[in-house]
Amino acid sequence: MDFATLAAQLNAGTIVPEGIVIVTILLVIVGDLIVGRSVSARWTPYLAIGGLLLAVLALYQRWDSTSPISFFGEFNADNLSVVFRGIIALSAAGTILMSIRYVEQSGTSLAEFLTILLTAVLGGMFLAGSDELVSVYVSLETLSISSYLLTGYTKRDPRSNEAALKYLLIGASSSAIFLYGASLLYGLSGGETRLSAISAGIATAGLDQSIGLVIALVFAIAGIAFKIAAVPFHQWTPDVYEGSPTPVVAFLSVGSKAAGFALAIRLLVTAFPLVTEQWQFVMTALAILSMVLGNVVALAQTSMKRLLAYSSIGQAGFIMIGLVIGTDAGYASMVFYLMIYLFMNLGAFTCIILFTLRTGTDQISEYSGLYQKDPLLTLALSICLLSLGGIPPLAGFFGKLYLFWAGWQAGAYPLVLLGLVTSVISIYYYIRVVKMMVVKEPQEMSDSVKNYPAIRWDLQGMRPLQVGLVMTLVATTIAGILSNPLFTLANNSVTQTPMLQAAQKPAVQVSKDETVRLPIAL
Amino acid sequence: MVSTQFPWLTTIILLPLVASLFIPLIPDKQGKTVRWYSLGVALTDLALIAYTVWNHYDFQNSGFQLVERYAWVPQLGINWSLAIDGISMPLVVLTGLVTTLSVLAAWRVDQKPRLFHFLMLMMYSAQIGVFCAQDMIQFFLMWEIELVPVYILIAIWGGPKRLYAATKFILYTAIGSIFILVAALAMAFSGDHITFDMQELGLKEYSLGFELCVYGALLIAYGVKLPIFPFHTWLPDAHGEASAPVSMVLAGVLLKMGGYALIRMNMEMLPHAHVYFAPVLAILGIVNIVYGALASFAQRNLKRRMAYSSISHMGFVLLGIASFTDLGMSGAVLQMVSHGLIAAALFFLAGVTYDRTHTLDLDEMGGLAKKMPSVFALFTIGSMASLALPGMSGFVGELAVFLGFTTSEAYNPAFKAVVILLSAVGLIVTPMYLLSMLREMFYGQEGNAVVGVSLLDAKPREFFIAACLLIPIIGIGLYPKLITQTYDVKTVQIAAHVRNAVPVVAHQHLENLPRFSFATPVFQQNELLGLVK
Repeated sequence: MDFATLAAQLNAGTIVPEGIVIVTILLVIVGDLIVGRSVSARWTPYLAIGGLLLAVLALYQRWDSTSPISFFGEFNADNLSVVFRGIIALSAAGTILMSIRYVEQSGTSLAEFLTILLTAVLGGMFLAGSDELVSVYVSLETLSISSYLLTGYTKRDPRSNEAALKYLLIGASSSAIFLYGASLLYGLSGGETRLSAISAGIATAGLDQSIGLVIALVFAIAGIAFKIAAVPFHQWTPDVYEGSPTPVVAFLSVGSKAAGFALAIRLLVTAFPLVTEQWQFVMTALAILSMVLGNVVALAQTSMKRLLAYSSIGQAGFIMIGLVIGTDAGYASMVFYLMIYLFMNLGAFTCIILFTLRTGTDQISEYSGLYQKDPLLTLALSICLLSLGGIPPLAGFFGKLYLFWAGWQAGAYPLVLLGLVTSVISIYYYIRVVKMMVVKEPQEMSDSVKNYPAIRWDLQGMRPLQVGLVMTLVATTIAGILSNPLFTLANNSVTQTPMLQAAQKPAVQVSKDETVRLPIAL
Repeated sequence: MVSTQFPWLTTIILLPLVASLFIPLIPDKQGKTVRWYSLGVALTDLALIAYTVWNHYDFQNSGFQLVERYAWVPQLGINWSLAIDGISMPLVVLTGLVTTLSVLAAWRVDQKPRLFHFLMLMMYSAQIGVFCAQDMIQFFLMWEIELVPVYILIAIWGGPKRLYAATKFILYTAIGSIFILVAALAMAFSGDHITFDMQELGLKEYSLGFELCVYGALLIAYGVKLPIFPFHTWLPDAHGEASAPVSMVLAGVLLKMGGYALIRMNMEMLPHAHVYFAPVLAILGIVNIVYGALASFAQRNLKRRMAYSSISHMGFVLLGIASFTDLGMSGAVLQMVSHGLIAAALFFLAGVTYDRTHTLDLDEMGGLAKKMPSVFALFTIGSMASLALPGMSGFVGELAVFLGFTTSEAYNPAFKAVVILLSAVGLIVTPMYLLSMLREMFYGQEGNAVVGVSLLDAKPREFFIAACLLIPIIGIGLYPKLITQTYDVKTVQIAAHVRNAVPVVAHQHLENLPRFSFATPVFQQNELLGLVK
């Protein structure tokens, strides 16, 4: 059998984007080996970005593919996966833009960093399309292990080591739990591994009300909730965010989280339709806890990275509203919010990195009076934070509006009201930072800002940072007002995905019942 | 409904916003060019408003005019939809005038001038957007856009307690505006089709319980802004701490957003609930008038005294809204316009005084009349207008509200007598605190802040700003038809609209009707409880 027929049989064309990423990884490693570390640092990041953008282009061409199932059901390249893979690849591209100077200054090798990051992207992209338990687990582990390596990348920094160890321990146990849940599913369904076949298998075996299925569900949710950092599986987040290199945190909070949400939608909708009520109930509880705890604890933070860690927990809670209501609009609003979140969160992290590079600190109090010294950074950080807080007319407002719109449409009134109240709480801590930067008088400047170095963009690695900053700033500002293309994209990705359409009818019914039971959950 | 003519309203709204984006690019070190630029933009926009209203607005038409509608986010049913009618047109003109004058009043802002003018222009756009928006989500968006600029304007250029005041302002308003969004979503999803268009929402049929809930939610949101007792506590802080140009806009325009929205949404869209809530509004109006006046009397800080006087004056708007009569409605709108002019003038003059004496404490002032005769004269005219001296706009507005309320057939005579009597108390206290303010500032012994300081009298620029506000005040006072004829077809229509709802409600709850006419809060609660059951 020659290669072409094999490829045709496997329908390998669906994973060309991932193939491009793999080739990029190889080129980066080999290039680094041949030309040496100092020389390769000049071009490998751009090669990696180019590769990622090429992958996004390839994804664009695979939009609306007529035969999305490939590798005998291992991988499903439907439109939903295309959107999520695009988000993950773009988040990595943004991360690379901001990491060049950062890694350079930390004195470690850039090419190795890129290799691990791209491997994480690869895992995330495969995870977004995996339609079978084994490939889900393998890609999940690819993503996780690369993430552990990334968090410990600045190996001379004890905090980075601490973060990596914590992340590794909690991550390893959560993937073990997830694996156990997967094995339960395998057993209950009579040896099925394809997600779509599992529920049928369980139903045939007459186990649709068994306690084993519920346990499998709980274990699977534990694995997912760890990835998206939903309360109460969030404990690693603040420490890991604080200790890890900041670009890594940016990727974890956007790319890795998007992959987690992709897994959540696919696994819960396809493998657990028999217990839809139960998983929506559990996810509702997680959403409520995440929104409340994330946003309330963020009020008390003094470190910028910890603030964003808790804010990202709260944001995950908002996104879960779209998941639990289980309507077309709900899923579409999730996708839309993740796209918006990509820009605004990456923008915020770019600003933090820039500030840390120039002053060496990320204490919120050190930002005071920054407006006098660096207006561009102040503007960009203010816009990104206000957008995260949902202030119109920025992109985040439209994201939240869509989530709440969908929630209200599905009748999840308590969730929407809670979301609104916690949004107002979040405005308070976001605007506290803005106030720190903008409002302080010259004499109230912090020491770091007083000794602020002259702004130079011509240092190596600063140009890409500037490009990233301006691009995320522009996107965050106008993606809301001109949100029509993104809305269309998000809606199409949901309405043209057969898996979600098949699950649609019962899901709507259940979400109506869900709201009736909500007060008990509260 | 897409208009074929030039999109005037869109241009008016977007011009300051787009122009503000170029402020960072202006080559300017001292902030001199920025203020000219900003003033130029503000004047251009004011000229555009004047031109549009004069040439393209029909004063005898009670419907929406200059309608524009473009699909914005069709997936959610959100449109970019603008129009003006008799309620919004006077307020748009007022916004243009007051904001332009406040840009001129901010001539001496030398601290971060770029940021200041950037925010002022942004606020300009958002304010007009609020008055023109015909889509609930667009309205909410404009309402929120104005929040952050005001927050920063208070927090940077304010008085000593500015951070506290700014935070209080943003928290009150942000929490209040949640209710707008919730009400918008609730109304949009009720019934058979999803829409955020205000006119279509007004035509939908709601159940009475639902209408009352939405009305209550919106009342909280707009009650914070107007402000209505007990949601008013942010106002004395915010107005007291803000710098003069910002206070002008706060008192002159932002409060009217609350009154405008009450008329536009609560009355026009929810007339049945309005029948139930009107007595509550009347009582809250009296509380505002009397409480605001008494609290104002107790203030020793000049701007806080004016801030409480604003609360007192906004009570008349509530009374007018609650009156169910043509005259009362007309009075409510007139009172909004007139208070916008008077409050802007008084806050501006307070700023002028503060620039010279560097204190707002009434105990420190005194004997200023000799040193600053023209400021004294202007201040006196402003105060007289505020205490409703006949011949000034304040008098016409309050008189119309009183007459409207007295002639209202919706209330029984006892209730009307009590309302009028109590608000007359407010009317008596108003001259007391305003005249005593004048006395403490301008007459008598020279205060600590004045002794031995040479104080300049009003400069031509300051004189010009005050005159621009005071001339319309006197003009309206002498010939009120000047303004009322531009909008009264609309107010008559709204009053008829809510009056029509009275028999409907009465028909639905026939046995409650006799009790309704007594209209006390106690009975209101029973009424509501009965409905919930």
